[in-house]
Order: sequence, then C-alpha cells, then structure tokens
Amino acid sequence: MKRVFQHPPEPLTGKKYWRSLGELSDTPEFRQWLEREFPAGASELNDDEWSRRGFLKLMGASMALAGIGLNGCRRPEAHLVPFTKSAEWTIPGKPLFYATAMPRRNGAIPLVVTTHDGRPTKIDGNPLHAASGGATDTHAQASVLDLYDPARSKYFREKGKISDRAAFEKYLEQSRSHWMANQGGTLAFLAEPNFSPTRDRLRNELQKVFPKMSWCEYDPLLSSAQAFATEIGFGERSRLVPRLDRADVILALDSDFLDCGQGDLELVRGFSARRRMSAAKDAMNRLYVVENRYTLTGAMADHRLRVAASQIPAFTRALAEKMIAVTKDSSLGNVVGTLPAQPDPAKFDDQWLTEVVNDLVSKTGASLVLAGPDQPVVVQLLAYAMNIALKNLGRTFIVREFPTDRRIKSILQLASDIGTGRIEHLFILGGDPVYNAPRTLFQDRASTQLFDWADLQKKVPDVVRVGYHEDATSALSKWHVPAAHFLESWGDALTSRGAYLSIQPMILPLFGGMSDIEIMNSALGRPKPEGPELVQETFRSTNPPGDFETAWSRFLRDGFAVHVAPKDKPSSFNANASAGVARNLWSSASAPSLHSPEIVFVPSYAMDNGSYINNGWLQELPDPITKLTWDNAAQMSPTMAAHLGVETGDLVRIVVTDTRKVPKEKNNPAEKNMPGERGSPIERELVIAALVQPGHADNSITIPLGYGRKTTGGRGALPYAGRQDDASPAGEGAGFNAYLLRTPSNPHYVVADGQAVASVKVSKVGQKYPLSITQDHWSIEGRGVVREATLDRYRDDNEFVKKLEESLPPQPPSLYSHPPLDAEQQWGMTVDLNVCTGCSACVIACQSENNVPIVGKLQVSHGRAMHWIRIDRYYASHKEFNQDAGDWPQDPEVVHQPMMCQHCENAPCETVCPVNATVHSEDGLNVMAYNRCVGTRYCANNCPFKVRRFNYFDYNQRPVGKKKIKGQFGIYKEYFAPFTGKGAPDTMKMQKNPNVTVRMRGVMEKCTFCVQRIEEAKIAAKVRAGASNNVRIPRDSFTSACAQACPSDAIVFGDIKDPESRVSKLKQQDRNYRLLNYLNVNTRTSYLARIRNPNPKMPDAAKIGVASMEEKA
Amino acid sequence: MDGASTTPEVVGDEASASLETPLTRPPLVLNKRNFSWLTERISGVVEQPAPRWWWVTFTITASIATFGLFCLGYQISTGVGTWGLNHPVGWGWDITNFVFWIGIGHAGTLISAILFLLRQRWRTSINRSAEAMTLFAVMCAAIFPGIHVGRVWMAWFLAPIPNNWGIWPNFRSPLMWDVFAVSTYFTVSVLFWYTGLIPDLATLRDRATTKIKKFLFGIFAVGWRGSNRNWRHYEMAYLLLAGLSTPLVLSVHSVVSFDFATSILPTWHTTIFPPYFVAGAIFGGFAMVLTLMIPARAIFKLHDIITPQHIDKMAKIILLTGSFVSYAYAMEFFVAWYSGNQYEKFAFFNRIFGPYWWYWWVGMLFCNVLSPQLFWFRWCRRNIFVVYFVCMCVNAGMWFERFIIIVGGLHRDFMPSSWGMFFPTWVDIWTFIGTLGIFTSLFLLFVRFLPMIAMSEVKIVLPEADPHYGADHHPAAGGGKERT
Repeated sequence: MKRVFQHPPEPLTGKKYWRSLGELSDTPEFRQWLEREFPAGASELNDDEWSRRGFLKLMGASMALAGIGLNGCRRPEAHLVPFTKSAEWTIPGKPLFYATAMPRRNGAIPLVVTTHDGRPTKIDGNPLHAASGGATDTHAQASVLDLYDPARSKYFREKGKISDRAAFEKYLEQSRSHWMANQGGTLAFLAEPNFSPTRDRLRNELQKVFPKMSWCEYDPLLSSAQAFATEIGFGERSRLVPRLDRADVILALDSDFLDCGQGDLELVRGFSARRRMSAAKDAMNRLYVVENRYTLTGAMADHRLRVAASQIPAFTRALAEKMIAVTKDSSLGNVVGTLPAQPDPAKFDDQWLTEVVNDLVSKTGASLVLAGPDQPVVVQLLAYAMNIALKNLGRTFIVREFPTDRRIKSILQLASDIGTGRIEHLFILGGDPVYNAPRTLFQDRASTQLFDWADLQKKVPDVVRVGYHEDATSALSKWHVPAAHFLESWGDALTSRGAYLSIQPMILPLFGGMSDIEIMNSALGRPKPEGPELVQETFRSTNPPGDFETAWSRFLRDGFAVHVAPKDKPSSFNANASAGVARNLWSSASAPSLHSPEIVFVPSYAMDNGSYINNGWLQELPDPITKLTWDNAAQMSPTMAAHLGVETGDLVRIVVTDTRKVPKEKNNPAEKNMPGERGSPIERELVIAALVQPGHADNSITIPLGYGRKTTGGRGALPYAGRQDDASPAGEGAGFNAYLLRTPSNPHYVVADGQAVASVKVSKVGQKYPLSITQDHWSIEGRGVVREATLDRYRDDNEFVKKLEESLPPQPPSLYSHPPLDAEQQWGMTVDLNVCTGCSACVIACQSENNVPIVGKLQVSHGRAMHWIRIDRYYASHKEFNQDAGDWPQDPEVVHQPMMCQHCENAPCETVCPVNATVHSEDGLNVMAYNRCVGTRYCANNCPFKVRRFNYFDYNQRPVGKKKIKGQFGIYKEYFAPFTGKGAPDTMKMQKNPNVTVRMRGVMEKCTFCVQRIEEAKIAAKVRAGASNNVRIPRDSFTSACAQACPSDAIVFGDIKDPESRVSKLKQQDRNYRLLNYLNVNTRTSYLARIRNPNPKMPDAAKIGVASMEEKA
Repeated sequence: MDGASTTPEVVGDEASASLETPLTRPPLVLNKRNFSWLTERISGVVEQPAPRWWWVTFTITASIATFGLFCLGYQISTGVGTWGLNHPVGWGWDITNFVFWIGIGHAGTLISAILFLLRQRWRTSINRSAEAMTLFAVMCAAIFPGIHVGRVWMAWFLAPIPNNWGIWPNFRSPLMWDVFAVSTYFTVSVLFWYTGLIPDLATLRDRATTKIKKFLFGIFAVGWRGSNRNWRHYEMAYLLLAGLSTPLVLSVHSVVSFDFATSILPTWHTTIFPPYFVAGAIFGGFAMVLTLMIPARAIFKLHDIITPQHIDKMAKIILLTGSFVSYAYAMEFFVAWYSGNQYEKFAFFNRIFGPYWWYWWVGMLFCNVLSPQLFWFRWCRRNIFVVYFVCMCVNAGMWFERFIIIVGGLHRDFMPSSWGMFFPTWVDIWTFIGTLGIFTSLFLLFVRFLPMIAMSEVKIVLPEADPHYGADHHPAAGGGKERT
C-alpha cells in the first residue's frame, strides 16, 4: 500500500496566505493535484501489489534466475573493455604498462606498451630483456598507429558481402569435412613467417589432422638464401647469431645490419657498444662496408666501397682468395677452390682487398664478415667460410639452436601446387601476395603459359584471406577475415636469438579481428578460446618451474620466460657440402654498365614490405639517407643520372626484358604487366621517379620495395592529414611498386645476365614527378655543425673539438643579466654522433609521444613537416664541392645529426614573442604555452636551429591537399576550410597521448624535452617525499621519448646539475660541443663529436673523417 | 608638356622670369591664379558628378579590393598555410607588404609635418593627398600584421589589456613595439590630416547644394567660421600636431626596422637598419606620392598648382634618399666583410649570387640604386615620363628590397640542413594585389569626396595672401606684384 505522507493538521491562525486561486477555493481537484506525485494520466504502479516487499521479492528472484542460476552453468566471461566502472588497481589519468612483443620477420621485439584508460598509446622496448634493452625501432614505434588505422579491415566478408564470424565458423565447419575426406590434400596455408611456438604447435596439430596439407610461408623481404646456406653449412635447426659486441673489425658485404627496421635491435646495440667512447684511449671497432647504395650501415662505415650488388659475389670471391693466401685455411680453400674459374674476373682495388683481409686476419676471433641476407647462397657460404678461416665461430659468430621445419614450403612450391590444380582451399594469413609475390611464379609446362600470383589465386575456388586491410589479395578471395593487431591478440614469439616472449592484448579487437592462431584453432574445429588458453597450453609444455599460475603471471608481467634459455649449437662448418653447393650455384653475372645497369630491390626504411603503407607516421618519416617522404624513387649515382640526362624528380622508364617469350597461341593471363606481341620477349616495365644519390654505385639503380600498394578498403575513412583525396587511405598509391619487376630468379637484383634476363634498359620519360624531400641542402658549408675526426687525430689531439671551435666566430660576453635558472634539477641532453646511426626511431617515438601531426605529402613538399626532432643528413667529401653550382661530392661520407629544440638558456625565440607564449622555466626548459600563442612565427624565424614547427593548417582536424588527377599522376590543391568536413576519426583520437595537448592550427610547437614526463616524475617524487621534503627526482630515473627509443643510446637526457648523472658525465667528455656558441645562446643540448676509425694502410684512409675539414674552407 | 597644351593662358615659365629678374622666386602657383579659381577648380572636382573614367576605374579597383578581401577571408578561415610560407621562411610576402606599405606611409607625414616645420611652402600643393595616401598605405600595412598571425581571433593578446590571467604582452618583443608605433603613427596622422581638412570642409559646406552634403560637411567642419579666433586655434593645433608627427616619422620605421635588427639572423641583425629604413621609407614614399600625383595632376588639370617645380623638388628628395639607401646597401656589404663573421659574409654573398640573385640585381641595384641617378639631370627631373619611370622603379625596388631582407635572410640562415626556398601561392599574390586595390579604391574615393588639394593652405602661399598685396606700401622695396 502506497502511503502518502500527511502533515499533522494544525489549526490555522493569523492571516491566510494562498499560493493560487486553486488553493484559495480549495477544490477537490486541487487537493488531488497536491497529493499526486505524478500528474494525472502518467502511468503509475498500482497501490496494492507493488509494496516494497513485493518489489524486492520479484527482483531477488530474477537476480537468482538470471545471475546466479544460469551464469553458474557457463564459463566465466573474460572481457577486455575500457572501464565504465573503475577497476580497483587503476588510477584515472595514470597510464598502465603491459609487457608484450611485436612479431617481426626475423623474430619478435620485446615491448612495454603504455595504455591510458584501456587505450594503447605508446610503445617502448622492454628494458628487462636484452633483445630490446628498452630500445625500439621505427616500425615498433609506429605500429601503435596501425592499431587505430581507420582504413583497416572491419568486417568479415564473403564474396565481398558483409558477413560475420558465426557464418565464417559455419563455413569452416562445412569445409572441414572436405579436408577430412582427402586428408587435407586440397588444403594449403600461406602465412607470413612468424616465430610463434603456439602457431608452430597448432600447425603441427593441423598437420596431424590433415597430413597432406601444405603449409607455406612467404615474406617478400625474407630471402631463403641465408637460411639455406646455414642449413648447408651448419645443419638443420640452426640460426647464426653475429656477436657485434665482440667484434673489433667488421666487414659488411651488402649487409645493412644497422637497419633496425629488420627488427634485430641486438645488432645495433652490439655495434654501438663497441663504437661508444668515453675517452681517446678507448678502443673502437672498425667497419668496412661494401654496398651499392648508401645504407645506414654504409653511413656508419669507416671505409666504404661502392660495388654493384650483382658484383658482390665476385668481390666476395676475390676477397676469399686473398684470405686463403694469408690464412692458408683449408675449409675456405675447399669452398673457393671448387668454384668454377671465371673467364673474365671483375677488377677490384687490390690494395683495398689486401688491407681489409690483413685487418680482419690481424683480429682473428674478434672479426666478423657479414653478408647481406639478400645476397645469393654462394656469398653466404663464402662469408661463413671466411668467418671459419678467421676463427670467429663461437666467438663473434655463434650458431644457435632455432626451430626450423622442412615441411614449410616456399611460395614457389605452393604456386606449382596451385598451378597443377591440387589446391582447392587456401588460407592466406596476412601478407598481400597479389601485391608482393614475385611475378611469373609458375609456368605451365604444356602451354608454357606464365602465371602471376593473382592468376594462380583465381584458380583456387575457396580462398580465405585474413588481412589487416581489404587489399588486392582480399579482392580475389572468397572470404575476407579481419586480422587482429598484435596489441589485440594473445600470442607468443621467439626473438631472433631464440628467447621466448609473451604477447598479450591491451584491448579487445577493435573490429572483431582474428589472429593467426585463432584461425588455425577454428580450422581445427576447436571451440573459440576465451582468453590465453592457446598460449597457455604452449607455455605449459615448456615446463615452467613452480606453480603454473604464478609462472604464467610472471611470463605476462615480464614479457618473457626466463626458464626457456636459447641454446648455442656446438657445431662445425660442413665445408664439403658447402663447397658442393657453392660450385653448383656459382654464377658470375656480367658486369652492369651505364647502358645496362642493374636494378636492386631493397627494403624501404619506412614501408618495410608494404605492410605499413597506410601508416602516416612512417609515410612521412624521411628516409634516413635520401630524406624522401611519401614515396620511393629510383636511386642512382650522379654519373648514372648524367648519363640518363635526369635530375631528381624526373621520371625514368625501366624495362626489363626476359629471355622467355610470350606464348604464341594461348591467351596469357599474366601479360597484363608484360606488354608485347605474342612470341615477343616478355617485358616488364616500371615508370618511376629518379633520385640522385651521391655515394651510390654507378651502373646500379636501387628501388626500395613496399610502395605503390593498392588497397580496396577504407573508402571514406581517414580524414586526417596525409590522405591524398577524399576517398582513399593515407598511403594508397603512394610511390611506385617495384615488385612488378621482381621474379623468383631475381629477388634482390636484376641484371642482364643472358640467362633469365636478356636486357635491362633505363630511359628518361620526359615528365616530372613531385617528390617531397625534407632536406635539399647537404653541404655543411664549413659551419662546424657536425664535428668529426679520425681516431688517430683524436688521440693526437684530445681537444680537436675545441680547436675547431676556434675557427668559428668567438662567443662574445653577454651585455645583459639573465634571470637565474635556480631549480634544484636542470634538464639537458647530449647526442653522441659517434653512435647515432640515423635510424630515425627517435623521430617516430617523438611523434607518438607528443601527438605530432601528419601533414601529408603536399605539405612536406612545401617544407612544413612537423617533426619535433629531425635527423639532419650531411654529405662530406675530402674534395670541396659547391652544391649550388651543381657539384656532387665524389665518394662522400654521410654524417647524421639529430636536431631538436636545443633549449637555449638565452633563447632567441623568447625575447621576440610579443605575447609571452614561449618562456623559460626555472629548470632550464624553453617552454611553449600553446593557448597563449597567436602565431606570429617570429620565434621560428629567430631560431638559429630552425626547430620550431608551425601549424600552417589544422592538421589534426582536416585533410590537406586534395588530389586532382591529371594524366598519370595526381597533382594537389589546397582546401577551403569552411567547406570541408572537420574532425579526426575516433580511432585516431584514441592514439593520442592524453598528457600532451593536441595543437590547433596557427600555433607554434617544438620539442619540449618531454615536459609531461618531467612533470610526471616530479609529481611522483613529491608523492614519495610525503612530509620529508625530499622532492628530488632520482638520478636517471626517467628519460625523454627519443632517448628511450634510441637503439644505440646516442641520445641521453637528464639532470645536468647532478655531476653524477649520465648526461653530466657525457658533457664532461672532450668530444662535447655546443652549436653556434657565437650567438651566446647557451644551448642545453650538446653533441659529442663523431670519430671515424680508418685503417691507415687503406688507399682511401686520407679521405675519411672529413666532415670537419671542410671548416677550413 | 601636356600641361602647356591644355592651359593656353600660361604666360612664360619661371625660368625666363628668373632670367629677367634673377632674385625673384618662381611662383608656387602658375598663371596668377586667384582664390576663386582655386576654390572652383578644387571644389569642382568634389561637386561635379563623377566622371565616367572614375566609375570605370573604381569598379576595377574595388573588384580587386574585394577579391583581396576574399583572399584574406580564405586565409583566416583556412590557415596561414594558404600562403607559401614554410620552415624556414616564416615571413614572406605578408611582412614584405607590411614594411612596403608602412614605408609608403612615410612621405605624407614627412611632407605635412617636417616640411611644414621647415617652412617649405611648396608642400601645400601636395600635402593633402600625400597625407591621405599615408593613411591609406598605413591601413593597407595594418592588414598584414593583423592577419599574418596564425590565430587572428587571438591577436588581441598583443594589446596590453588587463586580464584575469595576469599575463602581459612581452614588452621586449619588437613586434610589441610595432603595435604601439604603428597605431600611434596612424592615430596622429589621422588627426593631423583631419585638422588640416577643417577649413576646406567648411568651404565645401558653404558651397553645398544639397541638404545631406550640407549636413555632413557641416558635421565634419566642426563649426568652422573662418574667424580670427578659429584661425588662431587652428594654426596652433596644426603646429603642435606637426611637432608631434615629426618624431613619429622617424620612429615608426625605426621601430619597424627593429623587427629585424633585434633578431639574430645574419642580414637582419644590423645596427644600420633604423636610419636605412627611414631613408628607404621616405624614398619609397615620395616615389608613391609622385606615382599618384602625376596622373591626378593631368586628369584634374592641376598643372598650375602642382607645377614642374614641385616634381623637380620631389625628384631631388628621391635622389637624396636614394643615395642614403645606396650608401646603406654598400655599408651592409662592407660591414659583413669587415666583421669577418662567416655567417654574415655568406648571407651577403648569397644575396648577390644565391637563389634570389635577380631580386638583388634587378630590385635593389637597378631600381633603387641606379634608376634615381637619372635625377642628377635637370632634364630628367622635368620630364614627366622619366620621373614616372623612375618612380615606378623605386616602388618596385623598395618592395624587392624588403623581400630580399626578409626572405633572403630567412631562407638560408645558420643550419644548412634547413635551407629552403619561398614560393608565393595565388593567395599571396592576390592578397598583395588586393591591397593595391584597396589603396587605389580609397584614394579614388578620397579624390571624389574630399578636396585633394589643401585649398586654404595653397591660398596662403598665393601672392594675394600677402597682407601687402596690391597696395604699394613699400615702393622702395620693389613692386608688391612681383613678390610671391
């Protein structure tokens, strides 16, 4: 019974006041109106049955039925969801960190991921594990943006129509009976190489259920040559681990081992460990590099020789012959001796070869010969044999036990299976073979027809494609299944050196994607895993010590398993088998010439194999050497360019003519890329922009792979800057697809050898293509910006850096008194140019940490890239050259210099700002108040380092640069803000670091020394201090994003007032110098001069370490 | 001279007069024009219906101005990126145009104030329109610092307005000084110009034929009756304002030059800048006065008021200030060499031989240094076409000079890695052309609605204004009729 509260009646006294006429007249209607809680007509619970007791009874019963009763029959649901209610252990606004790993081509990188309220926002290396040591590379840094790619695949699709997971599972169920019937004989998987023990376990299980199935792995950038050579030389289940931290002398043959993009950070860390110096007496390694194009490794070289990639085998042979003469090693002699005689051996600088060999031999056991993984098997075997001859095995050259499986097929074997019509069900897990598989994979014997992957895929009736984007491969597949990002899925992985890492999700799959192991689990017909069960099963089989739950928690918490130790193989080199293989495979390519150059395919430093094509950060990352963004280009030497009559940005046409011919009769499906009459030789053509690259080998043209990938997905997505028109994702169409020229016989280079390739012709098209290059000027102009000396000079004269200072304008005394910088801790930075490889991991780390916008190709070409840290690349040559007069340096060396806000104590930007938007903090930071900035740009004009970046457009809100198609290529136009849509997609907003303001247009921004990290450390120190008043941040307890990411530890940040901090100690070194002292700016960032270690006996020794010599000019 | 053909009543020129009586000065107004002729001729321009050419020209210039305003709207709504600016060139045509217009705005106040104080009576024929030109040029100039900022709607942060955050503008910043210098200059110039207009407005009021004109001119004539008392106050106010304006002429462009001189960039960081900029401003300003006066003189048949003597004098000033500027150019190179500073040396080498070499050779060397040298020759100073050619050269040259200083200094400074180039966009170009449209439109409105020659002041320099005119008070001193 509902009770209505009644005031006890009271007699009325005094004057009667009334509120309304209704009250005055005191009608029954008025009384009812007063009593009713809701107006008449509103639905109400009826009085009798809805007592409080009745209500509780009913609710209790429904709780019991719905909650306890039925739920008790099911497994507990485990969901990863952003909190709607706060979980106990989270503090709002504070990030949580999770250990995980990123699977890579050669092995995973251990990571720690920062999440804010359930959103992964930043990726860093796992400092507990040696494979990272806290460092990361560009791709690991940028992969968090891929998670939020608005163009990523969102739906299950069956024949292009949107479907769902249930339908897909049902389809698998139906298909499984077919596979069962023929033991999997019609079933094939095409996966990307991935060293996941769980995937291996599931693969084995699949193979048990379907014994005849094929499992194939393909990655366009993973050459089988090295694995094959390793197997020949050292037996199965082995992997070679170079120990650069033990090597005194290193010879890299077309090996870009400092390209940390390939994922092996231990190589960079090992190399820089032996490169870093604290005083002139320190030892330092020596690096010889033989390569055709400038690589990061070449830029670090002490001696660099330009040799065409196709001549590396001949070079290696010549080197091995020299080495035999010195070492008299029998196994090396065995391998080299059996090689067929060369009719016309190529000529190389004899003194160069002799002195390199002498130097290597003089450091027996502490030297290393590295052959690039793309070089053919013979080069690999020769390199192994040379390392054996140098007694490096077990010292700098370790053979490690690593799981390999002979049953794994190559894409060529799969192509022939498909071509012969054996395969009816094909699972494509990741990758994009239509885009990146070698051309003419399969030739039909009967009809001599040639098939590309696309044609082969069309022959398979049922293709299930698990892809991150709906790309060209998806378009030819029956099913498209969205792939989960590694930050969304459970998994495990091995590092390139065999350590066992865990992969855990930070967030539920944003668009319901599936991981490889989930697909395989479904293919096995097992129930959908609710959580980490699949990985736990694998983990259990490793016999973790102690309680399983504890061990598992620890595995997730640390990110790696301690109890699974990689084992080194006590192995010996099988010289006889190697000699046999080498003899069979030896082929001496004819030397390329200016008229018939070689075309070399290399991984792009940004796009990798093309999988990052829609990653705006990587698209906009300047190539470390060419400084090209948003595109790839045909790199060629100035000599080659002069021969072709082209300049940077001119289009060239590359035509590769096959020795095979177009079939005369039957219609050839593969001839799309091969224009020509029937019966005429097959020609492959690529029109690509040229880029003149000093230091490139003549007779050679290098094209980075990974560009020009077409996707079909994501229309209408990506309204952030970088999109090229209203309807296509960021990277669509960016660059040129060099895979079009790649065939199985020439994975690394094409050269007219008369065997597979009849001719290679390059000609000028006569059109221009807009290339966006961030740094056009490469001469230091004698300004002492980068200082460099040889080790000998440094030892002769420890103070050479200061001597160089004397040739520059002197620092005048200041006429003004300056406000004191009196905080207890003062922040500063050093950059050791001696170990900086220029890899640009810091650039992406900064972009990720500080919400630095992507501006798009057009804006980059206008000189408006927003990076807070840039890597300046200079060429230096022993001969003077005048860039403005069109001179090119001959055999230049490359020096890199990371350049960010130098945090001048006397900052020129601060005095000129009319609104006090940029001011100095007591702890020495030059800080920016974005809200106060009106955007006069005076500060940027007055900045001598040109590190201030202005938001010329609303990069975070609107796309810039629409595409207008004109002819073959797009040209760009600006936009009109009031008439274009505004706002970033939600997923892009999720990536943003909530501790850093997202800047609007019209404001200036620049490196802040990661002020948000400093403040967080300060707050933490204050919390720790409590009443004790000790608010000092512990020494070197945190660092800036760039310093954290740096794989070679070149950037060090910290408290310069503390003499014991790392940064203070570095600043005390004699190589330390500051830029532009004469301006009296007193920068807080200083550089440590670069030291090169040339071999004085080498013919080019006098030309090394000359970046500073120019200063005399 | 076309003036001679259209005004047949010319009786001999001052050259022959000086030959006969060497001690007499040439008359400032030719052909013995009297007060009423002056009033009729000058008021007539305002009172007659607008001629067809005026409508045609105004339509064109107003359209250009409108498109310029559209460009401003586009730039404000979309971003500074619509201009060709980049890193390292943060200022391009925007600040070039600002300094260019501010420079032009110098001649007016110089003519009205400094020449007034120096009792240069020939100023009276040109000061009104020169002052109007000043105002319009400063208005055009003021557009650029206003809109070149990234967030125009926050530009009020530059004003020292007390606010609840307790943040003041940065008084160390020369941009701040700019705000004060330009706004003060504009305010004083408006007051000065308006004060001088009052007697003429009263004349127009008295002659007005419609009520609206009478009302409006009446309002703006602030009750001028031409009484002795009126004149006394007027003369005092005019003198005071002239005194106030004189330092401003020197200060405003000095302060503008501080925008560069107080920075650290090679070629900007120069102590020579304040006098160099002021000389350059007067140089450019006089060129622009002549650019406007020569056509106006022909169109409105003002040959008797703006005589070849006036043009000759202005040409001499152009020659003088042009020489200052040439000296400053030479000094910059000398100091760069003498300093021994590699950055300075490079910057000036780059100015002549760098990517912007032709801006220097054509703009600075030919237009600013060489072309005014023609004015050493009297024939050139008296030839309207030569004078006009040189003025156009100087107008262009001064724009180029500012561009070279600004972009030339920015595009290659300390870090070779950051060297770049500046390419204007269509918005850059049309914003500038738009300000030319605004400037000419305003000037056309001015000649249409206000007396373009200061009638009352010209009357003062007529012989009739002499209290002794007409009566032979001092026969021994010579005939009053010959006195001018």
